[in-house]
Amino acid sequence: MSSEKLNKSYLIVDIDNHQTKAVLIERANGSYRLMGASEAPTTADPPDLDATIGVESAARDLGRKLGRQLWAEGGPSGAHRFLCSSSSGGLYMAVAGVIRTMSAESAERAALGAGALLMDVFSKDDPRPDYKVVDRMRSLRPDMLLLAGGTDGGAVEQVLEMAGLIDAADVRPRFGAGYKLPVVYAGNVEIRDDVSKTLGEDRYATREVENVRPVLEVENLGPTREGIYDSYMEHVIIHSPGYDRLAKWVDGRIIPTQAAIGKLIYAYAMERGLNLLAVDVGGATTDVYSVYNGVFNRSLNADIGMTYGISNVMREAGVQNIMRWIPGGMGEREARNIIGNIMALQPAELTSEETVVQRAAAREAMRLGLEQHRNIATRLKGIQIKRTIADIFQQLVEASIIDLMKTQSIIGRGRIFADDQDHSATTLMMIDAIQTEGVTEILVDRSSVMPHLGMLLDVDKEAALSILSEECLHRLGTCVAPKGMARKGETVMTLRMNVAGGATSEEILTFGELKALPLGPGEHAKIEVTPARRFDVGAGRGKRLEAEVQGGEFGIILDARGRPLVIPEVKGTLEEWTASLTPLAAPAPAA
Amino acid sequence: MAVNVEGTVVRKERRIPTKGEVFVKVGELVEPDTVLARGTVRNPEVHEIRVYSKLGVDPEQVKRYMLKEEGDEVKRDEVIAIYRAFFGRLTRTCRSPIDGHLETLLKSGAALIRGMPIPVEARAHIPGIVVELIPGEGAVVETRAALINGVFGVGGETIGELIIAVGEPDEALTAEAITNAHKGKVVVGGSLVTLDALRKAANVGLSGVLIGGVDQKDLTDFLGHEIGVGVTGREEAGPTVIVTEGFGVYPMDGVTFNLLKSHEGKRASIDGTTQIRQRMLRPEIIIPL
Repeated sequence: MSSEKLNKSYLIVDIDNHQTKAVLIERANGSYRLMGASEAPTTADPPDLDATIGVESAARDLGRKLGRQLWAEGGPSGAHRFLCSSSSGGLYMAVAGVIRTMSAESAERAALGAGALLMDVFSKDDPRPDYKVVDRMRSLRPDMLLLAGGTDGGAVEQVLEMAGLIDAADVRPRFGAGYKLPVVYAGNVEIRDDVSKTLGEDRYATREVENVRPVLEVENLGPTREGIYDSYMEHVIIHSPGYDRLAKWVDGRIIPTQAAIGKLIYAYAMERGLNLLAVDVGGATTDVYSVYNGVFNRSLNADIGMTYGISNVMREAGVQNIMRWIPGGMGEREARNIIGNIMALQPAELTSEETVVQRAAAREAMRLGLEQHRNIATRLKGIQIKRTIADIFQQLVEASIIDLMKTQSIIGRGRIFADDQDHSATTLMMIDAIQTEGVTEILVDRSSVMPHLGMLLDVDKEAALSILSEECLHRLGTCVAPKGMARKGETVMTLRMNVAGGATSEEILTFGELKALPLGPGEHAKIEVTPARRFDVGAGRGKRLEAEVQGGEFGIILDARGRPLVIPEVKGTLEEWTASLTPLAAPAPAA
Repeated sequence: MAVNVEGTVVRKERRIPTKGEVFVKVGELVEPDTVLARGTVRNPEVHEIRVYSKLGVDPEQVKRYMLKEEGDEVKRDEVIAIYRAFFGRLTRTCRSPIDGHLETLLKSGAALIRGMPIPVEARAHIPGIVVELIPGEGAVVETRAALINGVFGVGGETIGELIIAVGEPDEALTAEAITNAHKGKVVVGGSLVTLDALRKAANVGLSGVLIGGVDQKDLTDFLGHEIGVGVTGREEAGPTVIVTEGFGVYPMDGVTFNLLKSHEGKRASIDGTTQIRQRMLRPEIIIPL
């Protein structure tokens, strides 16, 4: 690494709907550190209508805190500058393909992976008649359109017909009636000229990228995502107030915030060689990111969130599913009123009752998010899979690539996982919502700088990943949860733990138990789990599993409540579960 | 929680969602029901008719048998295509299922007929003076008024005489307090409106209910569906309901209650439209002074 690179400073800004957050990252004492962060209200919307005001305010404030000049006459100074943005609701996209479960689905994955909020998916096998498709396209007003279809050298007519529908719909962009709508074409490369001709240059700014599905067996999402970023920079974000100046100030492309987070999660998983699941529960949306065997996916549940979206969680999940996570004593009416008030009043501070209800809704939001994600993160459809008789009977060839038993790490992100929350409650919330299986480490993002680190990734991967591991992610613990069911009191697993350089201990857990063994965040241990005959902890039913695990705030969490998780109708169960997790740092009760 | 201002200048931009005709001039005095602009919007109702099938011809031959061209107006049951053979002995026709116009003749031999444009108009909603025109779309009306913003509402714009139906702001509005004399009125309650009261308000034909709180479950039952995202204003279950404090039992803020009480008998222009997320649009009560 050159000395010039060692001395680099990075001023990175993330602009969301409400806040503009600036952080400074520098190399100090041989390692990269997050020097500080500062926030200012976002000013992209009325009355200011100039995003630069918020950026300047956040950067100046950060400079003051650090005793540095980060803003000079007319712009940022003293550091390399990067920016990501999700202001004005983010990147709204519609995608179109030929077959819904093939090219359109690949296009959908590419758009979501690029951080888009997907408005609709169109295909030639769409059950809606053409005139309804045209009507719907016309009413959408997306920021961008992605058109895919046909393998290279494959379908021609159907792709051109879809392009014809887009042309007939005269789709207008969300902002700026006079601007051309950017269209990314990621279909059959042999008909690029015909597609461009069909769409016409006067209404659409067409960008051609490599085919997202060049052959049936291969999905090629990278070039499409890059094409979306380029079109976002050149045709979308540049039209937002103040972004023309911001574009000149930054040292790279401005990309959607969710894309920056996704890139970071992917790099982190690849660096550690993990299968990973990350859930980002926001106020209005729930994003789920996954990396399985090197394949990245993102899904988005719009309007499912913890403030604005909390009432919609109740509508989508059903009030009874929320009530099952609320300890006895609170009735449905009270819970409904609390949910209504969190949505309508959006209080800055929550009462203890409101917190309980919000956590119950969070479990359901994550469950819904994961459900949606399973449908997005699927194996490629339209290709033949060799099945054996055993596969047919055991249903081993699952459509979704999400396999909780093979998930080594889960990450929680969002205000509900913030440092000021009850950590034992948030830990349990993640385990309950995702229903981890096997051996899974549980982490949360406590610093909210993942978008910033995602922007840093392209210029200094080492710095980004080192800060993510050391300053951003907080280890709550490692959960050991065998899959299977039994009767209360029956043995579920025997666990032997050998702490590195320490003692060996053994635990036998019966069905329904939840227990935490102390093992600090920096400590490692070897575990040997022997599940009961009907339980699987990752090596097969009744088969012993050996693993090396890392500790966390709650050490090693032994979850013998079974999978799928069923809440016993016994008063006090939920309180008992929460009390099972005691942080290692908690003072011992007075004698 | 409600935000209220005793006397302020309220400016309301009133426009139709299309280009049309504006009927007022700057400086003109208007009443709440004065029509400021009128126009038409595209009808979403579209019928696809397989003309080739009705005529028994190949799709590519359809064009030669059409009596109507793209853009032509058609009436319900009017013949739009006819096929004659054997010197008129064999006749097959294709008729329009609706009043509208022939929008597109597809290559597949089908015709798309769209319903007649739907008339839309913008009324003043508040009494006042026209201070600005929006060419082809509407106008800006200004008035001096007391303005109260609620926290959540259902139902759209409406107008009615203010009636205080409770003695104190912490008193619940029950079905017994609502009578037939309240028809077309905007009734003010206290801490809670019950489900029975909401149903009676709808049966009697109240214009609006202004209340401190309402049980989220009662409002859900009244509407017949879960509220979901905080985007409202198009509900048609009955009166416009504006909640000034929150969900549950919430005595109406004393200042708000007294402000409404001081204007009892005056006409109030209310709107339950709420958009919490992006535009932070809250329901409003305007009482012209």
